[in-house]
Amino acid sequence: MRESLPWSAYAPLVPGLVFLALFLVVPLGATLWLSLSPNVLVRFEAPGLDNFAYLLGKAYYLDVLMRTVRIAAVTTAIALLIGYPAAYVLRDVSERLGSTMIIGLTFPILAGPLVVVLGWMILLSDGGPLIRPLVRLGLTGPLRLLGTETAIVVGLVHFTLPFVVLTLFAVLKEIPHDLLEAARSLGAGRIQVMRRVVWPLSLPGVVSAALIAFSLAASSYVSPHYLGGATQLTLTTLVAQFILATFNSELAAAAATMLLVVMAVVIFGFTKATARAVRA
Amino acid sequence: MIGRIYLALVYLFIVGPAAMIVVDSFNAATSFPSPFESPTLRWYLAIWAHDEFLRSIRTSTIVALAAAAIATGLALPAAYALVRHPLRGGNIVATLFVGPLLVPQIVMGLAMLQLLGLAGVDLGLGGLIAVHAVYVMPFTVRLIMTSLARFDFTLAEAARTLGAGRLATLRRVTLPLIRTGLVAGFTFAFILSFVNLPLSLFLTTPRTATLPIEMFAYMESRIDPLVAAIGALVLIAAVAFTVTLERVFRLRLAG
Repeated sequence: MRESLPWSAYAPLVPGLVFLALFLVVPLGATLWLSLSPNVLVRFEAPGLDNFAYLLGKAYYLDVLMRTVRIAAVTTAIALLIGYPAAYVLRDVSERLGSTMIIGLTFPILAGPLVVVLGWMILLSDGGPLIRPLVRLGLTGPLRLLGTETAIVVGLVHFTLPFVVLTLFAVLKEIPHDLLEAARSLGAGRIQVMRRVVWPLSLPGVVSAALIAFSLAASSYVSPHYLGGATQLTLTTLVAQFILATFNSELAAAAATMLLVVMAVVIFGFTKATARAVRA
Repeated sequence: MIGRIYLALVYLFIVGPAAMIVVDSFNAATSFPSPFESPTLRWYLAIWAHDEFLRSIRTSTIVALAAAAIATGLALPAAYALVRHPLRGGNIVATLFVGPLLVPQIVMGLAMLQLLGLAGVDLGLGGLIAVHAVYVMPFTVRLIMTSLARFDFTLAEAARTLGAGRLATLRRVTLPLIRTGLVAGFTFAFILSFVNLPLSLFLTTPRTATLPIEMFAYMESRIDPLVAAIGALVLIAAVAFTVTLERVFRLRLAG
């Protein structure tokens, strides 16, 4: 039962919320305002959507937008495919080893994306330990991965995988062993148990893991910058280019707003689309 | 068995790039990335010849300490209010507190840059610290809430009944019992802020560059294993912090 609480029960929330409003919401308001303002490249009278029309009207920038969505979607799919079985196996590992392995998952998160991406630059370089043996054995011709979308996806799968495994593991470990045994003793095969018991029960976890992976991938800056470079711009690296190279604050604001809108649309759409499956 | 092998491969994938950094930091080759030539310590020694890296480590430490302190300080009362009573709209407020996770960091940095520009003020390190604090707050709120969810509030009530004041109860009963969440939240916040690049990208000057920004700037002009040596040091520090954190958790589990 919800008793009516005195206002003082809410008071401790105020400082944190005010801080978020001052240093996140108000600044985002400034960006939104600038995205509607004229600039040296796009001239218009009153506040309007001309910057967005300008970006969407150029094939080059439209490519950047599509690439951002494509990379994030592919990353999400691959991270889920690799992460689901991993989280499932992790569930049967002894508690002691399991907790060590969970800590192991956080190492790349704690080392920071910059350090990890440096490692990928070595691994994916032309003469690196992955490509050179393949070329030597004649399995492939000269292969260039750095500076391609593939390299960005590899980096982002690596970056999002720990979050995906942790999210899926939290849901999978809640499924009681008894339930699986009951299904098995009632004659269900391994595959049937997976398909009819484990998978449906884990769906909420799959949906949140997908949302986390997509948002992380779409908002990542470090992987696209170092593994993709100037020829494979995404919305994040485009924002940086507008600020650091071409000094167009208004177009940077418009690109940033576009990124936020794309993410909001995908998150909202995906949640809506999967709501029924999750509830059933 | 197949499951174990699969898991081992996944961990190899996760740990691989970090291992490469450590190996390459001892590489005598003068370009990066390049095949391993012969082992050397020169890159580690070279760090000390670069004043800008040492200064940036100091800046990063100040920013990360301040951001973690602000985030923990604001998260504690909020988490307490959210866990103590079932508040009307409590779920929505809890979601608001993790909201910063959904905003791309590069956009947070841009937004702060543009607000400061429009307002025509220069906060120095203040703007940078504020953005970092916003970014790490979701982690401190979540970790402290997890700790509070296991806290038996009747203990605090008992202390009050026995005559302890509000402050004494907080200091002698509640805080010690949720220490794990506070320490974990603060440490996690510190590390996440320390290693972050995109939040700071638009908010630093050469004088106020953080360590990741200094690495970024260095790599724009030339790339050699020096950055790998710094990366390896950051990695080792992060591992040390994590192991310490785990010890803290062990202590709690042991009673």
